[in-house]
Amino acid sequence: MEAAGGARGLEGRSKERLATAGLLGGPLLWLTLFFVIPVLFVAAYSVGIVHILPMDAGVASFADWRRFLRGDTIYLSLFWKSVRVSLTVSFIVVLLSYPVGYFLALTVRKRKYVLLLLIIAPFLTSYLLRVLAWKVILGDKGVVNSFLVWIGARPADDPISWLLYSQFTVVLVLAYVWVPFVALPIFVSLNNLDRSLLEASSDLGASRWRTFLRITLPLSMPGVVAAFVFVFVPTIGEFVTPLLVGGTRGYLFGNAINDLFTKGLDWQTGSVLAFFLLTVVGILMAVFGRFVRARSVVG
Amino acid sequence: MDVAASSWAKRWLRVFFALLVAFLYAPIVILAIFSMNSGDISFPLEGFTTEWYRRALTNPHLLGALRRSLVVASFSSVIAVALGVLLAFALLRRRFPGKPAVSALAFSPLVVPYVVFGISLLILFTALDKFLTATMGTYIGLGLHAIVIGHVVVSLPYAILTIMPLLEQLSVTLDEAARDLGADGWSTFRRVTLPLLTPALVSAFLIAFTLSFDEYAIASFLAGTEPTWPVYLFAQLRVPSQLPQLLAVSSIVLVVSLAVVLSAEIGRRVVARKTGIGADTAL
Repeated sequence: MEAAGGARGLEGRSKERLATAGLLGGPLLWLTLFFVIPVLFVAAYSVGIVHILPMDAGVASFADWRRFLRGDTIYLSLFWKSVRVSLTVSFIVVLLSYPVGYFLALTVRKRKYVLLLLIIAPFLTSYLLRVLAWKVILGDKGVVNSFLVWIGARPADDPISWLLYSQFTVVLVLAYVWVPFVALPIFVSLNNLDRSLLEASSDLGASRWRTFLRITLPLSMPGVVAAFVFVFVPTIGEFVTPLLVGGTRGYLFGNAINDLFTKGLDWQTGSVLAFFLLTVVGILMAVFGRFVRARSVVG
Repeated sequence: MDVAASSWAKRWLRVFFALLVAFLYAPIVILAIFSMNSGDISFPLEGFTTEWYRRALTNPHLLGALRRSLVVASFSSVIAVALGVLLAFALLRRRFPGKPAVSALAFSPLVVPYVVFGISLLILFTALDKFLTATMGTYIGLGLHAIVIGHVVVSLPYAILTIMPLLEQLSVTLDEAARDLGADGWSTFRRVTLPLLTPALVSAFLIAFTLSFDEYAIASFLAGTEPTWPVYLFAQLRVPSQLPQLLAVSSIVLVVSLAVVLSAEIGRRVVARKTGIGADTAL
């Protein structure tokens, strides 16, 4: 009896294992071939182990890394510029989203999910088109300037030229693009707040403002940090928005990577920058990952 | 008394909310308005026309780009959902060594900058082609297949995240009941689990589809001579005379994607309410 049971258990277990392998095989193969290996290729390229283009040096060395990290090239300062822009954008986005999350989670009773969807919906539509819209709106002959000329607020030959192709525009447009995305994690953290805590605080004589500062804000901090990371990480490598509305003043680190691969054809330096960016993001996620439950992305 | 906000604060919050909604939708509305303006993309508006729509819909290059995007989005979203179901199952229902690592790997495309991922696939395909040319005198080249491969990777985490919450709620006892009644593993999956998962699969498909259809960064490195709609759009932006047409198609794409997303969300809730499964996972 015992032996038979054991055999069946063993057979069952190996069957289970086979089924698990069947489930994992396809996805893991895909991710290994088309995600892990390509990223390893970037690392190898950055130190000259892999070389494809005729103009590659073709010798393994850390020279490009050294040049980049020492700041011999413009790229390191460009990286810090990207960090500044991303920090500014993240800060603005959180600042704009927090009141909305607060409003929906704590003061609206009916239809709060409908109103939330109203905020989130733009994010689910074309990213490129929402950036394009701003290019059309802010250009020298664009919607804003032509409107100002039309109503006589501005002479026709003197448009407000800093509206487009500046760092300001990049920040504005990136903030516009990411607000719908972070409204969700902030809303979720405020919505899960135990309201009786607020009532207790009020019963104990705290003003609403004090309750907000001492109870609500600290308890929603994980959501705020998550939101911050959610914006910072994708914008740090951003190159599409600067390309469309940034001009030369809005040129960022991501643009440098893009140009090195598509125009300059210096893939080795490009790989250094790309792998550096990946490392930075990896470190950020290792530090802040616990705040970011991936699940709050789609809910 | 409301402990969260005074009536004064509430009024300001409401105004702020309304302003933010206006800020979010105004550019989209402006885009749509100027796509029907007979003059330049500037004030004053000259007159109503559907000319740009007519021209756009008879422009073979533009339609070709749209078609390519549809093809890429269809393939990549179907593959992403299929792989996503498998991974979601493995992560939720199976025990195996290295599970945290597998889960981290599957979700990491969420945070990898697209520019980095795009160039890494570009390097992979170029290296492969160099190798193939040297050894067999043939090559694969860039193109739609490369974009599909990349889009599957970046859509996969979204697919898993959409499928997991519902799968988590489907009781394992349902599976066990089916097995007790004589169904084997596969038919349990096909006749019990899969039908109950359908709402999540549909939303996962739609999310992956819209992500791919719109994706520029990765596609721009991999398109080769086959531009998808975003790549085509980007290239054509330099030609001012093309702009109104592009706005026309953009407006159509925006309206359709909004409609699809909203109806998917509403549909998911209706199904959730009827079956009682996944009701609290909506948003």
